[in-house]
Amino acid sequence: MKIELKQIIPIPLADSIKKESFWGNDWVFESGERILLNAASGKGKTTFTHLLTGLRSDYSGEIKMGGKSIQTFGMDDWTILRKEKIAVVYQDLQLFTQLTVAENFSLKLQLTHCLELDFAREMLEKVGLSNRWNDKCEVLSMGQKQRVAIIRSLLQPFEWLILDEPFSHLDRENARICMGIIKQRVDELKAGFVLTTLDPSDEMPVNRKINL
Amino acid sequence: MLRKLLFRTQDFKQLFIAIVGAFIGLTFLITSFHYLVRVNEFGEDTEILGRNILIAQRKVTSSSSLGITKTDFEKEELSEMRQETFIDDIQPIVSNNFSVWLETNDKYVPPFRTDAFIQAVNRSFLDVHSKRWKWHKKSRFVPIIMPREFIVMLNTFMSASDIPQVSDELAMSIFFKIRISNGKQEEWYDAKIIGFTNQISALLVPEEFMSYANEKFAAGVPGKITQVMIASKEGKFGELEQYMDDHGMESKRDQMAISRLKSIVGTLLGVITGVSVIALLMSSLVLLQYLQLLISNNYYEIRTLLRQGFHPNNLIKSFWFYFIKLFAIIASIGFIAFILLKILVDHLLIAGGIALKSSLSVEAILALIISLILFAIASYWTARNGVMKWFNV
Repeated sequence: MKIELKQIIPIPLADSIKKESFWGNDWVFESGERILLNAASGKGKTTFTHLLTGLRSDYSGEIKMGGKSIQTFGMDDWTILRKEKIAVVYQDLQLFTQLTVAENFSLKLQLTHCLELDFAREMLEKVGLSNRWNDKCEVLSMGQKQRVAIIRSLLQPFEWLILDEPFSHLDRENARICMGIIKQRVDELKAGFVLTTLDPSDEMPVNRKINL
Repeated sequence: MLRKLLFRTQDFKQLFIAIVGAFIGLTFLITSFHYLVRVNEFGEDTEILGRNILIAQRKVTSSSSLGITKTDFEKEELSEMRQETFIDDIQPIVSNNFSVWLETNDKYVPPFRTDAFIQAVNRSFLDVHSKRWKWHKKSRFVPIIMPREFIVMLNTFMSASDIPQVSDELAMSIFFKIRISNGKQEEWYDAKIIGFTNQISALLVPEEFMSYANEKFAAGVPGKITQVMIASKEGKFGELEQYMDDHGMESKRDQMAISRLKSIVGTLLGVITGVSVIALLMSSLVLLQYLQLLISNNYYEIRTLLRQGFHPNNLIKSFWFYFIKLFAIIASIGFIAFILLKILVDHLLIAGGIALKSSLSVEAILALIISLILFAIASYWTARNGVMKWFNV
């Protein structure tokens, strides 16, 4: 699924945009492309994530997905998009903290029916959290929560994976492990991803780096 | 898992209060609807709750005795009264303006002959409904309605005189002859009693017969209207009473008392129904408010589930089905409570001499079903509004 951005300007950022900025120009993200969006705080990384997932509509310009303007999307279109085409790791993670790690995964799988719960358990083991399977997410540290949120995002079919600063609370080793499982799943699905980061040294292999 | 997530923040104390409220409201509604219908049926049969009809005449005063004021009604006056907002209908009671004799014409009954006084009223005001209540010029038979108080008085006399009493059926099987005359000419008709009235203390004949006889035998003298039958509108008897007072009219004391009673009972039944509907509305609102509260307590979960790709309809259905099931359970328990209450109330009423029909009224069951449907619609919209607020935010 190709993503086209035509002169997108978020209204709150309209006054601070420069000519060479990402905002206000035309961009095309080809299917399967791996993109790094790099910017300092307040430049609109999370806004970009929210625009692609339909959570914000306060912008000018046009966004097309699969050739169709997202402004014409209805409730069913967004639901299918989020369930089958775009997986997201939000910056605030969006976990159900009152549920256990296993329950967070079960709930996702109850929606997508695409994998077995054992797959999630294996991945949790890979990121070193197998002992946290039955713990409520509220008792996990931020780094642990980030790893759980990354695994949960992979428990669905997708054509694009949007990662909003997913490694911000991880040490280099854990970040490397997470990059590994993400790459494995993205390769498997022949999908693309957009990784937003504060740190341009993130070691994720990408096709393109864009500065916001 | 979805249900565990969405319903984990329940305040069971508040839910319990909402359930108890809805249970009381529903039970109250079914019970009052049931008894409203049954009491109405019972009232119609026993003339407690039928049309509120009374017979009115002018008060006889010293001035009317001296002929200064009149005691009859003009036709124009009746037309004006008909326009009053509290009067449903008004019809004159027409009396005979000729001589009438009534005698038995039955070989099994001792000969008996008397002068008689007959009256006619509009069929819609009669408390006797019979297909035989008709007359036309070629007919030689005149149906008669007898005042109930007459046969009661007759039987009291017969009992005191050691003569066998007369039942309604026996009285209705006796053949009579009725003779009408103006001194110059006379006519004879066969007659039979077809029913008994509690409203008028005179022999009643069909209006058509009275018109014919008055025209032919009253020698052109127009009959005076000294009494009228008035049907007041539902709940407006008080205004009629005031009007009668202001216009020097009166009615029999027991008729006034019955009319007042009818007015009170009718108003009370209306109030009970109104209170029941309000009680159910209030308790349903408590339940709906609880649903709203549950949704707003779960705003983070709903918003996140929608962001994850759950369809809003799935979440709406989760809330909706839960509350439909809850209401259905409350309705079932309410229905059982109503049945138990009905057994108790019916028992008390029978002990008090009021035998209402014991079967369940269709209206009460319909009220329950309609409540369920209305609650289903209201809870769906509440759930939909609550969930959709968090879509795409």
